[in-house]
Amino acid sequence: MSKNPYRLSNGGARIDRARKVTFSFDGKDVSGFAGDTLASAVLASGQKVFGRSFKYHRPRGLVGLGSEEMNALIGVGEGNKHEPNLRATQIEIFEGLSAESQNRWPSLKYDIGAINSKFSRFIPAGFYYKTFMWPKSFWKHVYEPFIRKAAGLGKAPEGRDPDTYEHMHIHADVIIVGGGIAGLAAAEAAASTGVKVLLCDENPVLGGIADLTAGMIDGECVVDYADAAALRLAALPNVHILTRTTVVGHYHHNYLMAFERVGDHDPAILASGAPKHRLWKIRANKVVVATGALERPIAFANNDRPNIILASAVRGMIGRYGVTPGSTGVVFTNNDDAYLTAFALKNAGVNVRVVDSRARADGALVKRAMADGIDVQLSSVISAVEGTLGVTAVKIAAYRKGQGRVITEKKVDCDFIAMSGGWNPALHIWCHNGGKIQFDDGLQSFRPKSHTDNIVAIGAANGTMSVEATLLEAQGLAKKAKKFKVEEPVRGALESLWFAPATGKYNEGNKHFIDFQNDVTAADLELAQREGYESIEHTKRYTTFGMATDQGKTSNLNGLGVLSEATGKTIPEIGVTTFRPPYTPYSFGSIAGALTGELFLPVRRTPIFKWHTDHGAVFEPVGQWRRSYTYPQASEDKHQAINREILCVRNKVGMLDASTLGKIEIKGPDAAEFLDRMYTNTFSTLKVGKCRYGLMMNELGFLTDDGVTVRLADDHFLMHTTSGGADRISAWLEEWLQTEWTQYKVFVTPVTEQWAQFAVAGPHARDVLSKLVPDFDISNEAFQHMSFKQGHLGGTPVRVFRISFSGELSYEVATPANFGQGLWNALMEAGDEFGLSAYGTEALHVLRAEKGYIVVGDESDGTVTPIDVGMEGMVSKKKADFIGKRSLEQSFLKSPNRKQLVGLLTEDPTEVLPDGAYAVAVVKDKPPMEMIGQVTSSYMSPTLGRSIAMALIQNGRARMGEVISFPLEGGKVMKATITDTVFYDKEGGRLHA
Amino acid sequence: MLEPQFESALAHRATPENLSISMREITERGMIDLRGLATDKKFMAAVKSVLGFDLPKAPRTSSTWGDLKALWLSPDQWLILCTRSKTAALLAELNSALGKIHSLAVDVSDMRSIIRLDGEGVRETLMKGSSLDLISDDYKAGTVRRMRFAEIAALLHVVEDNVIDLYVFRSYAEYSWAFLLKAARKGSEVKLFKK
Repeated sequence: MSKNPYRLSNGGARIDRARKVTFSFDGKDVSGFAGDTLASAVLASGQKVFGRSFKYHRPRGLVGLGSEEMNALIGVGEGNKHEPNLRATQIEIFEGLSAESQNRWPSLKYDIGAINSKFSRFIPAGFYYKTFMWPKSFWKHVYEPFIRKAAGLGKAPEGRDPDTYEHMHIHADVIIVGGGIAGLAAAEAAASTGVKVLLCDENPVLGGIADLTAGMIDGECVVDYADAAALRLAALPNVHILTRTTVVGHYHHNYLMAFERVGDHDPAILASGAPKHRLWKIRANKVVVATGALERPIAFANNDRPNIILASAVRGMIGRYGVTPGSTGVVFTNNDDAYLTAFALKNAGVNVRVVDSRARADGALVKRAMADGIDVQLSSVISAVEGTLGVTAVKIAAYRKGQGRVITEKKVDCDFIAMSGGWNPALHIWCHNGGKIQFDDGLQSFRPKSHTDNIVAIGAANGTMSVEATLLEAQGLAKKAKKFKVEEPVRGALESLWFAPATGKYNEGNKHFIDFQNDVTAADLELAQREGYESIEHTKRYTTFGMATDQGKTSNLNGLGVLSEATGKTIPEIGVTTFRPPYTPYSFGSIAGALTGELFLPVRRTPIFKWHTDHGAVFEPVGQWRRSYTYPQASEDKHQAINREILCVRNKVGMLDASTLGKIEIKGPDAAEFLDRMYTNTFSTLKVGKCRYGLMMNELGFLTDDGVTVRLADDHFLMHTTSGGADRISAWLEEWLQTEWTQYKVFVTPVTEQWAQFAVAGPHARDVLSKLVPDFDISNEAFQHMSFKQGHLGGTPVRVFRISFSGELSYEVATPANFGQGLWNALMEAGDEFGLSAYGTEALHVLRAEKGYIVVGDESDGTVTPIDVGMEGMVSKKKADFIGKRSLEQSFLKSPNRKQLVGLLTEDPTEVLPDGAYAVAVVKDKPPMEMIGQVTSSYMSPTLGRSIAMALIQNGRARMGEVISFPLEGGKVMKATITDTVFYDKEGGRLHA
Repeated sequence: MLEPQFESALAHRATPENLSISMREITERGMIDLRGLATDKKFMAAVKSVLGFDLPKAPRTSSTWGDLKALWLSPDQWLILCTRSKTAALLAELNSALGKIHSLAVDVSDMRSIIRLDGEGVRETLMKGSSLDLISDDYKAGTVRRMRFAEIAALLHVVEDNVIDLYVFRSYAEYSWAFLLKAARKGSEVKLFKK
């Protein structure tokens, strides 16, 4: 026997018999030809089982020809290159491809999980809901692991994906979704008007199922027309064609997303540098849905056995790949189209008979079949299938629509079945963004009705099944319609067949599958109905019908049909479930695109970033910035490093990279008045060359930002904001200027990034700066606290602000960013003899907490006023108005019981209160307890040799000296005394040193 | 006396290899952010007296005169480009010409990093990170556009058909460079509409 017993000796338009390709499937070598899909090559080898089903672990084979395939889900590649749940019918084989079946153990033939099938009567719809309800604790440790292991599809890849992915944007006047007969004709029609046309098709070859369609266009067969049209389009400069590209979703404003499998089919493409997948973000004026139609399976007993295949897929296997599923087949149909499959089989020398459920079938194709001597049995259905890992025989019973029982049946040997229950327009793209649909009696399916977007559906997607009418619809896109001469067989009507009655008792060993991928049967749907799940959306969620990765492509309408017959309602009365993107699953890699690894998050780096990295900095995120948290040296842990840095500032001198600080230049004749309105305190009285700390509220009276503002000239200010607030505050300033105070002549220009800025703080700060020979007087008398100088330090242009966030003598030195690293180095060198070392943000925080300086965002949380944090003195009483002023007059913001900022000293000085710990009025055994406030900042202070904290406590300022309790996790209670917030250098002498 | 040490954001990055386009940091350019009212004739005249040409008023356009360029940023904001070494002098000239006229001119030469992209496919490379239709006729030479690029804010200046300067805030220079290295990788080129 040949190695590929089911490969026909000739035929197969897509394969190149001269190029043999060997690949591995479940560890075995399989050979096929270039152009084969994994499905066709494996089928040719005689293997019928491709996977095990989701719930019952029943053996499953191929059903479809393309993306509608729901059973043959395959994992491709190994280790970190593994990709699960790919449809065998879409996997193009190449030398060295490694693939494996899924959801089976240990092998496809012998699967232990198949025992589920034996117990299937105990696993009805809603089984999980009904069974795993009690006890609650069992969920996490017993039920969920069990279900996860038993159910499910492929496994996730191991390790980081080494391949690359990317996004790409494209704009088109017209996007055509689907490159079948309709799409090709529409593309040519649209392109003839000169507009930009994008044509996307999920298959490697354009043409859709032109090759499986009967008829002649202008004297050539349909597939030749399609091939020629594809060639013409490829030559047009205003047409962009994407193959292997699935439009996965249609969204508002004709925005679409498409998934291109760039390198899946050929490792050489990947090796050349191309991404594995590309996600296209498409913006189009007009969308043409030419997505074709999907063939429906038929619900008959054990219709899920391997080698029960859609009629079109059988036709495709023969025509495209020269592969037959078997040697004796039965075509089971309720429509004329499947007769084309019977002809294809007969031509290929395969024995075939037709079982047609219709009592009357007199279309041209039926007549031709009868004339050709094909055994056609009308008024018949398949009532039983024999065989488990394949089909060995079927029983054929007499049938008349509406009369459900099997009375007589006849057994016929066969080894495959080609089924066709009619065709459903592929409505997904039409429906994603709210397209309306209507039921079509002729099709016994839904078709597009109306849409609010600039979108049309044509051809089979529109329910138009004739070639001639399809071409006519496509001409709607041309300025002048082209005329075609089309010959095609006249079709007889189909008759809906939602359920073929079975031998024996219903649902015992003869399941009628509706949703193959989620193992939902007709009986499950009826059960849901009986249990009161009347809405189709509820039935869907209860039974999981249509919820698998195939999104109900083949199951949807059959399910509705079953429910219709069970309830006596019409299908439109039952309604449809919502179509949601994606049309087919697409990879996480493509969604992430290039934005992985170092690109995962756009990170902002200061001019000194590299130095920090080189000096062992541990970073922390501040907004998008990465700031040095601390610089641990050789043997230090983080805590030791922070303590060293703090003491260095207190006793010697330290340097902090403060470049992230927000900087905004504000200029204009009304600048001072504008600032008076933005801040709680007054800036119009600030002298040129002087700095002032300011508080900013929002309209609600809550603290929103703080910082030091400098008066550069009479009409010119430089505002500093918090690092995280820079963008928000400049937008806030612009908003007031542009929308409320349009009379103000003020310009606001954010300049944060222009400057590298360093805090040089500590008793030796002046000494360090002096060593760099400033060209301005740096003496304490000439350059006092809260003032500003401009000049040069070591030849580098600088702005120097004598301001302090540490409580020490401190200068903030700013220089244009590109001079930043040079100046930083020069300062480091100059400071060496004074023991200068860099300090990070954690030291900064401890230093400021020792001084009781607040951090907006720590001591405030969006519900805290300046008065709450004890800064009433900074809220002007004189100014006529400023943002937030009126809100502060509200009674509840003046309530004495508001939480107020206080200092805390723990009973045990070695213990540090947890950040955010709650203080309670009375400690009880267990919650609830009355909470009176929370810790906002808490640190071990090396300066003071004890822990310190700040907290917002109800009526805190009136409770000085009071001891309050903080119940912690595990029953521990910490106690602390309420104090002033300034722990160190209360007189502030060090600032002015 | 020490000399100031100049170090641009991408100074330590090697010349990229294996790219489908060429890519380098432009460091020799000075930039002045100029605010003023286009409706203020005195302002427009004062600026013209220094630059030698009118500030562009049409959105997304630019004007050039010798080694000076003005990029339109918004109805009351322009980015003036000049040789870096001449920035201070130009700023002083502008400020003196503007005098009391309501305006704000700031040297922002170090605020942004400029990445020069050169070669066939620059537009498509940028379209991997931008939703703008950069291959359309809207983006002819001289066009200026503020944009969202690969998740960050950027400014685009079409210098020639296949030459584009991408301005990003200095702190994002590394991120942008890394993104472009990936997007412009040889073998990943995308040609749209056979261009």
